[in-house]
Formats: sequence, structure tokens, C-alpha cells
Amino acid sequence: MNASAHLTWVDAASGAAETQFFADGMRCANCARSIRKTVAALPGVRHVDVNLATCRVSVGWTPGAQTLERVLDSVAALGFRPVPMLGDAATAARHAERRSALKRIGLAGLGTMQISMYTVGLYAGAFTGIDAGLARLLRVTSMWITLPVLLYSGAPFLRGAWNDLRRRSLGMDVPVAAALVLAFAASAYNTLRDQGQVYFDSVTMFIFFLLIGRYVESGMRRGSLDATEALARSLPASATRIRADGGSERVALMDIRRGDELLVATGAVIPVDGELCTPAALVDESLVSGESAAVDHAGGDLLLGGAVNLGAPLRLRASGDARSSTLASMIALMERAQSERPRVALAADRAAAWFVASILALSLLVAGLWLWFDPSRAFEATLAVLVVTCPCALSLATPAAVAAATARLARQGVLVTRANALEQLARVDTVVLDKTGTLTTSQPRLGAVQACAALPAARCTAIAAALERQSAHPLAAAFASVDIQGLRPQDVQEIGGSGLEGRIDGEVYRLGRRDFAGAGADVTPPEAEERVWLGAGGRLLASFEIHDSLRADAAETVRALQAAGLELHIASGDRPGAVARIAAELGIKAPRDRQAPADKITLVRALQAEGHRVLMLGDGINDGPVLAAADVSCAMGQGAAVAHAAADMLLLGDSLGGIARAVTTARGNARLIRGNLRWALGYNMCAVPVAALGWVPPWVAAIGMSMSSLYVVWRAQRFSRESA
Amino acid sequence: MSIALLLIPLALVLLAVAIAAFFWAVDHNQFDDLDAAGRQILEPDDQPPDR
Repeated sequence: MNASAHLTWVDAASGAAETQFFADGMRCANCARSIRKTVAALPGVRHVDVNLATCRVSVGWTPGAQTLERVLDSVAALGFRPVPMLGDAATAARHAERRSALKRIGLAGLGTMQISMYTVGLYAGAFTGIDAGLARLLRVTSMWITLPVLLYSGAPFLRGAWNDLRRRSLGMDVPVAAALVLAFAASAYNTLRDQGQVYFDSVTMFIFFLLIGRYVESGMRRGSLDATEALARSLPASATRIRADGGSERVALMDIRRGDELLVATGAVIPVDGELCTPAALVDESLVSGESAAVDHAGGDLLLGGAVNLGAPLRLRASGDARSSTLASMIALMERAQSERPRVALAADRAAAWFVASILALSLLVAGLWLWFDPSRAFEATLAVLVVTCPCALSLATPAAVAAATARLARQGVLVTRANALEQLARVDTVVLDKTGTLTTSQPRLGAVQACAALPAARCTAIAAALERQSAHPLAAAFASVDIQGLRPQDVQEIGGSGLEGRIDGEVYRLGRRDFAGAGADVTPPEAEERVWLGAGGRLLASFEIHDSLRADAAETVRALQAAGLELHIASGDRPGAVARIAAELGIKAPRDRQAPADKITLVRALQAEGHRVLMLGDGINDGPVLAAADVSCAMGQGAAVAHAAADMLLLGDSLGGIARAVTTARGNARLIRGNLRWALGYNMCAVPVAALGWVPPWVAAIGMSMSSLYVVWRAQRFSRESA
Repeated sequence: MSIALLLIPLALVLLAVAIAAFFWAVDHNQFDDLDAAGRQILEPDDQPPDR
């Protein structure tokens, strides 16, 4: 087992290593338990965590006492393939998996079509009379087509069942494999002795439908992995460190230590948190803060790892190593929140184990009873029960509906990245909204202007606007619509981190931070809003409130969500005044301001403790943890990669409208799933007794099974076509 | 009935060809990205055709 591709962290102080990988093939709580037991029993292994919902295994081990190869081998010996978490190897592995799944489906589909035609011929022949030699040819041909379908396309089920049996546990694959092998063996036997029924059509059709169900399901699971990978890729693998002698060297991200001086080129990502050593810098912190505006920093400011350097090359002194950076701790928070979630998945798996056990018990009972009454019909009745009870419609009921709803949402501008998002969204009764970047755009807008006595407000605004016309700073957009009254500023220069300075009609004006613009009688109330100040000759002239503007569809979306019976909350890291203004505009009560990521999590947890199911809508990296903590979460498509990774859904197209439609669709989807499950269960309840009584030949059972699956898929299809 | 003796092997050959074609397509990245081609038409960087 090649260990080098796997993600391993080694703690230099204690010498402990931590490796994470995906265990491919893990489907049920039993699998997770057996991995945990086996790996924990190895010498030199300190701890094992298995997350069933994400298929992730995390092993803590001591390098001298154990090797990673042996740990991976022991997992492989249980029948699970260890797949690297990240990087090219992981992408290649998932690619290969998707391709082989497609090939299996293709072979099964083509085989099914072919055999169905022969079967129609055979059945028609059974009524109208058929040449014995031709019937024999059709059967033998069917057998030779079924064989590769069973061995190649059906391999996942056969292997899964074999691994289950070897571990002495019952998975979903066991009854499936039992039905497949029994049906094929009996059909082959009957073909060779040239009498009795053949069930080749049932075998191939069965494999085909099951594979499709599984493909749909695994596609959904993959979405969330891609997001995690995008997140880890946002940090560079290496950085440029400045040596004591003034030269520079490339070092790996993991080797950066506190106090190292690093050089960050223009356009490069800042690798770790650090103190700025150059006098000024312009960085894009959208990945870290979610605010997409470029931010000015003066020397000595703390820069955050994950931000992008937009200005000249800068130097910074690392204030910690890669694992203690803001971004890394955000990731850790998020992973913890994620790992607390998979209740639904676990419940479903426990139910599945019971379902499988009862199917097998029922089949054995039927076989026993028939052997007692009429041994000649025992095989057919048992096979019919196995096929009829195959959880095909049952197992398609949810994925088909989810796939349909996902497709419908994608057309509505909402991308679903986690399979259980829709289920959770349907049950949500509370929405927590972030403000900046979510309810508002990052486009700044000019608010109230306060001028002191010396100059009228309109004149001050015109001067400020004239200065800002010369600036590329994002705040300049707030003044873009102001009439500058023909003013012609000269010698405008940008003072990094402070503001603008320029001459108009011989007077030098300064616009920017308060301490930069000038001193004197302050004309502003306490800092409730973001402001810039205008000054001349060291005196303050005016201050301008900078508002962020509401998204065009924010009010409409809020109304739609409230009409859907949802309770809305705003939790923002912004100043009280700005938050209160937005909340009042939207008619949302009790907004919470100055919320750190931890405060937002506390809010969500408190709401959850009151029994609410919470939808979190956010966009920034600081929202990552709370997005992961909420029952279901949605991130703005324009937002930070971390938020994308943590969220269950993404809103595309830079508008909010999708979320209200998503709630409607999710509720419709929940109704559809319930309807589908009722249908599938109802079908099984009716079909099982009839099959057990021996009144259903296996081919009718297979057709019934297929029809029930098709009906379920058709319902889902109809749902996806309905207009929102 | 003897036509069936010809048609069935012929169908088998066609089946084999179809499977081989499908496997070839999967192995040559035809199914790796089914969305991009559809989206391409909406992308603005198209050059107008030269006349």
C-alpha cells in the first residue's frame, strides 16, 4: 500500500503522527465499527476516529512503533480501499471510481436491453409456441450476456456481500448478492438441463437499477469532498522565507515557524498570520473575512493567512505556524462542527441493517415452509420473495427525489453540495442571516453627510467626490454618483493605509481616517457606522457615512421567507448602527451586531436547544464554522471558499432569491420522498405475501420490482419538470 | 426460423461493438464534464466569425 500520497501531520514535539484518509466501500455502521476495532488493536496506534457520513478515517500513530503502510494494509484487508484525502492522487482515485461506475452501468444497461428482447421472444413463444432449438439458443445467449454483467457490473454487490460475510455482519449488499447468485445459478442450471424457468432478465435489470441508484447517491457525496479540497488548496504549499543573511529560500508551508520573515509577491496568497513589516499593503481578505473589498494595512498590522496580496510585494513576520493560523483554526472549527452532524445517516444505516436481517429471515422462513409443503416450488417462491423485497424502489425513493430536486434547484440558481441538505431544509423553521455580503452587496453607498460650520455639506461632498475620482480604492465607488461641480483636484496621492491627499483651488484637502484628515471639533456621533473624514489644513470639515447597500432582492426574499413561516434573525460582525439600519429596512426584529464566529455559533446552538431547526445563510470565512454548525447552511456563490466548503448549498448568480425558492422546493421534495417511500413500502407489503404464497413467478417479481422503481423515478422526474 | 440463427449472433456482435464504443468513450474523457459544453455557449469571450 503506497503511503506517500496520504495526508500526514507530524507533531515535532511529541513525535505523534496523524493521518487522514477516506475508506472507500464503507456503507454502514458495522463497517465503521470493524475499522475502528481492527486499527485500534494495532500496536503503536494511539487513536482512531471513523466518520461514517463522510467516509473519513483519522488515525493517530507513533512513527517508530508503527508504519503507515501497515495501518493502510489492515484497512485494505477488511475490504475497504484507503483513498488519499487530497491532492492529485485523491482526484485521480475519484476519477477512476467514477469511470468504472459508468462502465458498469453502461454494460449492465446494454446487456439488459439485449436480454429483455430475448425474454420477450421467450415469453411470446411460451404462449404461441416456439421452436425448442430456438428457445434454447435464446436462453444460452442470454446466459452468456448475463455472465459478464453479473461478474463485472455486479462486482460491487458481490464483493460488498463477501466482505460483509467475512466480517460476520449484515449489510445492504447481502440480500442483493444472494438474489443475484441464486437467480443466476438456478437459471444457468435450468439452461443446461434445458427445462424450467430462467431469470437472466431479472438479474441484469436488477443490477442495472441498483447501479443507477448508487451512482446518483455517490455523485451527491462527491460534491462535498470537492468543496473541502478547494478549501485546502486556497493555501499555498510553500512560501518564500528571508534568511538572516538577507537571501531568500523556498520553504514548505509546514516548516514556517513563529518569527520567520516571509516575502509575499504581488498576487500571491499570504501563507500564515503575521505582522506587516513593510510600511503599507493592499490585500484582498475576501477568503478570510468574506468582505470582498480590498483592505489597506499599515506597517505593524496583523495580516491574515489566506488573504491575497494585491499591492506591491510585502514582507511579514510570521506570528505563528501554519497550523495556528486563523484559516487553520477556522478549518478545525468547521470540521468539529461537521463531525457532530451525521445523526440522520446513522439512523438510516441502523434501520437498513434491520431491514436486511428481516428480508433474509423472511426468505428463509418462506423457503422452510415451502420445503415442508411442496419442495418443488420452494426455490421459485424464495427467489420471488428475495427479488420482490429487494429494496430497489425503497433505495431509489430518496436518491431519485433528491436528484430531481437538485436538478430543479440548479435551474433556480441553488447548488446543493450535500445529500441531506434538502431533507434538513424542508424542516427548517428559523433562518439566521449574515449581513455583509449576504443581505448586502459589498458595493459601498454614501449615507448621511455631517459638515461643520465652515463649509456647506454639498460643497464637502463634491470635494470628497472629486478626490475619490482619482482613486482606485474600493470606497471611491460610494462617491461615484456625486456631481463634482467641475472641481479639478491636483497632485492627488494615495497615502497607504490612511487616505487621499490632493489640492483643489490651492487648498490641500485630506480624505480618509479621522486622525489623518485632521483634528478639531468632532462633528460625528459615536462610531455606529463606517465613515471617512474630510479635512483641510489640519481641521475636520465633514464626515461621510459609508453604507453597504441592500441586495436588490433582499426585501423580497425576506418577505417570501417570512411568508413561508420562517423566523428570521440577523447576526453580523458589523457595527450596531449599520446592522440596525439594515434590520429596520427589512423589518427583522432584534438583530445581533458585533458577532464573532464563536458568538454566531452560540446563537445557533441556543436556537437549536430551543428545538428550532436553523438555516444559516452566510458568505465569509468567518461564517465557515457557524455554517457547519447549523442544521443546514447556504453560502453565497460569490463568497469565500471556506464558506463554500462548510455550506450544504451555494446560491449562484449573486442574488438572494434562490433561497426562498429552495425552501419551497425542499418542502415539495420532502412530500415527494414521503410519497415515494409510502408507495415503495406499500408495494412491498402487498407483493411480499403474494410472493411468499408462491403466486408470483420471479419474472413477474422482477417486472413488478422494476415497475415500482420506474414509478418512483417517474414521480421524481415529474417533480423536477414542474415549474417552481 | 433460420434467420434467427443469423440475427442473434449479429445482435451479439453489435452489442459488443456498442459496449466497446461506450468503454472507449468513458476512457477518453467523454463523460468527465457533461456540464461545461452546455455552459460554453453562454460565455462571453466568443470571437465573432470572420466574414
